[in-house]
Amino acid sequence: MIKIKFPKLKTLDNVKLHLDALVVGAKEAIKPGTITIEYPRERRLLPDSFRGYVLFSPENCISCFQCSFVCPANAIGMKLAANNRYYPTIDYTKCIFCHFCVDSCPGAALRPTKVHDVVYKNMNEMITSTEEMVKPPKIVREDGYTVEYVIDGVKLILRRIKEKDNLIPEFKPHEKVKEYSACVMPESCLACGICVSSCPSEAINLSVKEKEKELKIDKERCTGCGICVKECPVQILSLVRE
Amino acid sequence: MAITLEWSVKIPDRAIEEKYWLNLKKKVIDAGLCSHCSTCALICPVDGIISADREIDFPDWEEKCVDCSACVRVCPRYDYTPLCDIGEYIELTAARSKRFKGQDGAMATEFMASALEMGLIDRALFVGRDEEWRTNIYHIRSVDQLKDTRLTGTKYSFASVLPEIKKAMKTSKLGIGVVGTPCMVSGIRKLQSEFSLFREKIKLVCGLFCTENFYHHQLYEFLKEKGVDFSKLIKTDITKGKFIATMTDSVVSFPVKELNDIIPHGCEVCIDFTAVESDFSVGSVGSNVGYSTVVVRGEVAKDVLDFIRENNYADFGKVIPEVIEKLSNLKKKRKKNIPEEFRSRIQEEVKPEESKESKESREKESEKEKTEKPKEQEGTKEG
Ligand SMILES: Cc1cc2nc3c(=O)[nH]c(=O)nc-3n(C[C@H](O)[C@H](O)[C@H](O)COP(=O)(O)OP(=O)(O)OC[C@H]3O[C@@H](n4cnc5c(N)ncnc54)[C@H](O)[C@@H]3O)c2cc1C
Ligand code: SF4
Ligand code: SF4
Repeated sequence: MIKIKFPKLKTLDNVKLHLDALVVGAKEAIKPGTITIEYPRERRLLPDSFRGYVLFSPENCISCFQCSFVCPANAIGMKLAANNRYYPTIDYTKCIFCHFCVDSCPGAALRPTKVHDVVYKNMNEMITSTEEMVKPPKIVREDGYTVEYVIDGVKLILRRIKEKDNLIPEFKPHEKVKEYSACVMPESCLACGICVSSCPSEAINLSVKEKEKELKIDKERCTGCGICVKECPVQILSLVRE
Repeated sequence: MAITLEWSVKIPDRAIEEKYWLNLKKKVIDAGLCSHCSTCALICPVDGIISADREIDFPDWEEKCVDCSACVRVCPRYDYTPLCDIGEYIELTAARSKRFKGQDGAMATEFMASALEMGLIDRALFVGRDEEWRTNIYHIRSVDQLKDTRLTGTKYSFASVLPEIKKAMKTSKLGIGVVGTPCMVSGIRKLQSEFSLFREKIKLVCGLFCTENFYHHQLYEFLKEKGVDFSKLIKTDITKGKFIATMTDSVVSFPVKELNDIIPHGCEVCIDFTAVESDFSVGSVGSNVGYSTVVVRGEVAKDVLDFIRENNYADFGKVIPEVIEKLSNLKKKRKKNIPEEFRSRIQEEVKPEESKESKESREKESEKEKTEKPKEQEGTKEG
């Protein structure tokens, strides 16, 4: 264990620090609300890039499993939905709010919100189903003010705006380097067509000729989700960058 | 690395207008040619082909087979070219490992251990066994693991080593070493010639001398009737025409010809005794008791042998090529069982006539314990 030692201060420094504390205390007594905010009646203004509760839009999901693969906390499970597609669920007992899932989603089906104060009654409730992820979670909002912290040189100023903050900011998916699947070892291809049937975007085509089978990847259709790369039994497909 | 968005794959002709799996089944398995090498099970992309202690099968093929032709392409018996004789080699020697205990001189194990130590491979596939001597496969990563004597030594039952190559490919960075019977070696070579992917990763292939192998359940029943207690069994061996089962407290032995009825069809049409396509072959016959006969064929295997010599990991002894020749000739007699279309492909080695003197002097040398072996086996195998 490392013990942190209290810095050796001269008497003069000591007096100065105590005086500073007294001044701050006096200020707060005369004009309250300059240091702390009265949550939940006031909410701190958070940047739009804040990593909070994650929302999901099934219409953008291509069931590529990328989010569940990338999640470092292993919080994302893929569940079979009624339409025979797999969609993510998030276990908030595990989630560390890194938003790698949001960043990795090729279809921008996952997006961030500024909601960070959801209350659960038990652990099971924290495993959030796909349906629950479509809408923002229910939270009771008592806030009327948004408080912004501004640092002016060395001074901390709290700016209060009598307005509710929008917790679901507009989502601008960051621009991605376009990736697409390609074959890196064509001479080892089994021509089994598993890639063809695995592709959610119908980007791979296999045609049977008399003495050979022809395979073709449509680069424009390929979303770079990487399912075929994972499914290929001999692992000869790879994602390449534009 | 060639990166492409369009490519084509040549597909073989069909013998019958059915899915490729049925082609394989009719032409190889039902025709009694299947060697149970499991190459087809390795390559099948839907993992449908089952290699277990029974005939190779794909029960739900109608639904699952994607008709890709991979199994037909890799099967060494589909377009069968029977191989025989000792084949080409760089060095022929006899040796005994100082580090490991094995069937004979534990040189199969020593080569793989040394290859691991050299960093040539980082995975070696070995055949272990359960209490009833059913075979199971182990991915060996360190030399110490090979001290376990259940992993070394011969199990006279088919082992599904090849399907494990697919798994090992995913975890291995440096390369894989495989030990197997001659049919398995041929399967690996066919696989490598068809699919380049397997050329790089499979670095060291050890072939074992082999006359035949068995289905576990058949051998098990047989040995049980002979009074073998599997819980006490520590070694099985075929030597001097006898099958010998050594238990902790007793030994059961009987003439190996009694097993004739349970020799699988696939072995009856095999004439490759020494695994001519291997990087190096290891066998029992051709050297003194306690030694393994080693036939080094490839440069990589030669490097490993040099490494073994440098580190003084083995004792070296005398090898008697005539004995190996005799047994491989004996196995060659099985060519009468091979269908005519394939028999005509056999290329036998033409040996230059030896001078009478050198022949006599070599025969004298070979009057040792092990030289008895082929004579007795000759008598038994033909009966
Ligand atoms: C089925 C079979 C039949 C054989 N018949 C003959 C014969 O007729 N004449 C002859 O001279 N030699 C024969 N051998 C070879 C001999 O029994 C020894 O395996 C060989 O001499 C190597 O001895 P070793 O001490 O160097 O091997 P060890 O160092 O003891 O290593 C043995 C190696 O064999 C592998 N192995 C064991 N069982 C199997 C199996 N069922 N399938 C694949 N790999 C296996 C192990 O994984 C291990 O790598 C046969 C081997 C087998 C497996
Ligand atoms: S899927 Fe391919 S390899 Fe498997 S049985 Fe069918 S044709 Fe053979
Ligand atoms: S010989 Fe080998 S590859 Fe051919 S069918 Fe039998 S097990 Fe499969």
